[in-house]
Amino acid sequence: MYSLLTVAWGVMQDALHRKVFYALLAFTLILILLVPLLPTAEVGVQLDLAREAALGLASIMAFLMAVILAASILPGEMGRRTIYNALSRPVGRKIYYLGKLLGVLAVLAAALILNYLVILAFLAAKFRVFSPGTAKALFTIFLEGAVLASVSMLASVHFGPLVCVLLTGLFYVVCHVKGDFLYRAMVDVSNPGALRGLAGFLYYVLPNLERLNINETVAHGERVFRVGAAELLLLTGLAVCFAAVFTGIGMYVFERKDL
Amino acid sequence: MGTVLQIEGLRKSYATGRRRPPRPALKGLDLEVRRGSVFGLLGPNGAGKTTTLKVIMGLVRPDAGRVTVLGRQADDLSVRSRIGFLPEQPYFELYMTPRRLLTYYGRLAGMSSERIRERIPYLLNLVGLGDVTDLRLEKFSKGMLQRVGLAQALLNRPELVILDEPSSGLDPLGKIEVKEILDGLRREGVTVLLSSHQLSEVEEVCDRVAIISGGENVASGGLDDLLRSKDEFRVVLAGPLLVEKPLLPPSASWSSDGRTLYVKRESLSRVLRSLIDAGIGVEEVAPRRMTLEEFFLSRVKPAREGEDV
Ligand SMILES: Nc1ncnc2c1ncn2[C@@H]1O[C@H](COP(=O)(O)OP(=O)(O)OP(=O)(O)O)[C@@H](O)[C@H]1O
Ligand SMILES: [Mg+2]
Repeated sequence: MYSLLTVAWGVMQDALHRKVFYALLAFTLILILLVPLLPTAEVGVQLDLAREAALGLASIMAFLMAVILAASILPGEMGRRTIYNALSRPVGRKIYYLGKLLGVLAVLAAALILNYLVILAFLAAKFRVFSPGTAKALFTIFLEGAVLASVSMLASVHFGPLVCVLLTGLFYVVCHVKGDFLYRAMVDVSNPGALRGLAGFLYYVLPNLERLNINETVAHGERVFRVGAAELLLLTGLAVCFAAVFTGIGMYVFERKDL
Repeated sequence: MGTVLQIEGLRKSYATGRRRPPRPALKGLDLEVRRGSVFGLLGPNGAGKTTTLKVIMGLVRPDAGRVTVLGRQADDLSVRSRIGFLPEQPYFELYMTPRRLLTYYGRLAGMSSERIRERIPYLLNLVGLGDVTDLRLEKFSKGMLQRVGLAQALLNRPELVILDEPSSGLDPLGKIEVKEILDGLRREGVTVLLSSHQLSEVEEVCDRVAIISGGENVASGGLDDLLRSKDEFRVVLAGPLLVEKPLLPPSASWSSDGRTLYVKRESLSRVLRSLIDAGIGVEEVAPRRMTLEEFFLSRVKPAREGEDV
């Protein structure tokens, strides 16, 4: 447990020395502050649009950060051979892997909390509203970031950072369109059998990441749907399950890798 | 005198890409390191030294064979807290300082904060980095990084220290310091297994060596036993040669100073008789001791030639 936290802490320290971390953070926070410059049609929907834009920006930042960090840690350490210094200690590879992922998630959480504070301050300053409900959307953004980070980290056991980012990007796209696209590909009898089989397989196996996107609902003040505790719990369970599966596979593969 | 490390029939092939056969790096290696010895692992480039050390550290999974370290399997984690490892060309997160780096590794090793705090100044002084404890590693030279590597290998007061080319990249002073550190470890009863290309250094600090070539152990044992030639003798004359050199069998050769003769075993008695008949005094007759370099070449060359066939 102690070594798990030590490894995770190391990742956080490491992130603080990476330009990509600051660049993403600064870029997002600045864009959020620029949101009022967007042309808007009606004054009434301005608040909702601003909220939606801010949450959208936060998601992009969170996903990029999670994927890039998770994709670059292991390949970096293996390439620079710093991994030997750590793994020659009484630290199991599974713990090491898990610690790295936890570290990424901690960095992600910290970045999202910072985003939250900026969004709150921005909404208060611009619209004189206190909008703590955005936390729910940021929470599901975190959940999705966790799933993406676990996928990216799994890929990073064997591939370099760039390939990992591309693969995870593909995963992201497929998992967002799957509810619609894959379902239709599966049921369309005019498609070849193999394609329908593959689409069906992916449809049932891959997570539906669109479920985790509640930005719009939250941005519009949950006037139509309310996101209650039960829903959040369900989404947490969903994300944890998928992240656990990818992480489990990653730990298994990493444990067997020659370094 | 227990056995600290026992390797039996170790095999490892590395994948070389799809549709190409794997390349064997270790082909049934055997090795035994006894407690308290300073053991040198020698061999040409690509012989499999680093691979062997990585298998011991659980960084590479062997295809076959048994590795027992400090009485346990090599993949047993608990044994790692009793080993120190210096990888080949060690490298570190350069934004760290030696102090932070050693603190991080100490925590991973499960050491208490006080113990880490105690060890850091001691170790950094030991490796000659006492005055750069808080300098970022990005400002370090290659040899300085090597010294940091040495310090981290000794962090947890290991019983077994495994060093992959400890003096690579070090200046002459650094090499002497490494030798002193190794001597210190020997005095403390720490077992050391090191790989090296510096034969003279190995000859000075190691008491046992193994020569690996083509993934196999081609010679191993105590340095004195290995280097003492079984079929050549050294004959030292009592004084400078005042008379004409006597006629000797062609297998006998004079050293450059003319006071020592190297003689094959089969002609030893004939040579001695000729010397005594010529009235030349003999002071010493002893098995000839080869240099490690001579021995190394005698073992590695035939193994290499065998490979080419
Ligand atoms: N990661 C790897 N992938 C593929 N082949 C490898 C890998 N590491 C080592 N090898 C091969 O294994 C063999 C042994 O390599 P190893 O690094 O153990 O040699 P070494 O004795 O340490 O050599 P050197 O003196 O140059 O350090 C070499 O033929 C090398 O090509
Ligand atoms: Mg090597």
